[in-house]
Amino acid sequence: MNKNKDIISRRKFFTTGSIIAGGVAVASSLAVVDGLLFASEPPRRKGKWYGIGIDINRCIGCGKCAKACKLENKVPLDPFYFRSWVEQYTIKNDGSIIVQSPNGGIDGFTQTVPDEEIFKSFFVPKMCNHCYKSPCTQVCPVGATFETPDGIVLIDENYCIGCRYCVQACPYGCRYVHPEKKTVEKCTLCIHRLKKGLEPACFEICPTEARIYGDLNDPESKLNSFLKNHTCMVIKPHLNTGSKLFYNALSSEVR
Amino acid sequence: MPKYIRRLIIAFAVFITLFLIVQQFLKPASFGELGHFRAKAIDETAAAELQYAGRLNCSSCHDSLRILKAEGLHNMLACEVCHGPGLKHALYADRFKDVPLPDSLTLQKPVERKDCAICHQMNAARTKILFDTVDNSLIRQVNALEHNYISKKTKKERKCIQCHNPHQP
Repeated sequence: MNKNKDIISRRKFFTTGSIIAGGVAVASSLAVVDGLLFASEPPRRKGKWYGIGIDINRCIGCGKCAKACKLENKVPLDPFYFRSWVEQYTIKNDGSIIVQSPNGGIDGFTQTVPDEEIFKSFFVPKMCNHCYKSPCTQVCPVGATFETPDGIVLIDENYCIGCRYCVQACPYGCRYVHPEKKTVEKCTLCIHRLKKGLEPACFEICPTEARIYGDLNDPESKLNSFLKNHTCMVIKPHLNTGSKLFYNALSSEVR
Repeated sequence: MPKYIRRLIIAFAVFITLFLIVQQFLKPASFGELGHFRAKAIDETAAAELQYAGRLNCSSCHDSLRILKAEGLHNMLACEVCHGPGLKHALYADRFKDVPLPDSLTLQKPVERKDCAICHQMNAARTKILFDTVDNSLIRQVNALEHNYISKKTKKERKCIQCHNPHQP
């Protein structure tokens, strides 16, 4: 029997080894729990919680919302940087789907498919959905994008490192990288206007009142009466992003 | 406890303590107050400059136009839908009441045919079709390339505003 303390018995080796392995297994499963908790978070029920409603039946595709957003927020005017844009969906009689968004709808739309071939056609204005389980806030490696207590998802441009992970993660395609600042930008729900009691630019400008925003937790708000009186749905509900942008009369072809 | 285990534990403890100390210095000022982000960023974003004035602010000088518009079919339109962002224009005019506006602050007047066609051009997506009903009542549509397009007298493209007053169409 060796009295050398550096040699441990087989039993001790196995017990210590399994304790360490078990500890590692438990610790690594906690990361999964963290993700599950995030994904199953229920909607916030207290305090101001901003949401958005868009009525597809009322949108005439004028593109003024996209233009107003660009002018209000100094978005670069090139046709690939949009915080809010309009798409036109044309479903033909043979079932094929054509989606166009020429310059985001800012210059208006022209009908390219003749009337006889069209089964249905509509405009879908899109913007940041300000999700409450947003994939973009989850993947940010530094914490530069976040959700405010009010429910608005913002970007801290002084903290963003420009890795573009959030641009990849957003399933709605609403983020872009600013060509000069090299940080990511997106719709801020015009928080600089909200704080002064004004409406966000795109909601203000819409000529047919197709866009509505408001407090989801206020039973008297315009948004809640919009949700009650229309059949509303979000885009890509299967992704469980907790999107707060509710469309009325959303067709299943919209993606 | 074997010597090497003890040394490892001490090394870990030293590293973790050092990390926590350095983190306090390197963490930005308002980080962590409301979540894993700089809480000051909310106010920084909210400090951006405004460009649009809002519906109500035009009527303090242009009230006659507002009254004219209120009775027509364009009554629900904001002034800035057609004329562009007007906050700087309104602030300048409010501050310097009798001084004529500089060119950069004069708002655009969309007088061309294409400016009306952006909303009113006939498009299958603007006509709301539900089952067998066709509803054009949301917005009157016209084919901008046919409706009184060329004047027979001058042979030139007519402007919509030659017949339709945009403030009372």
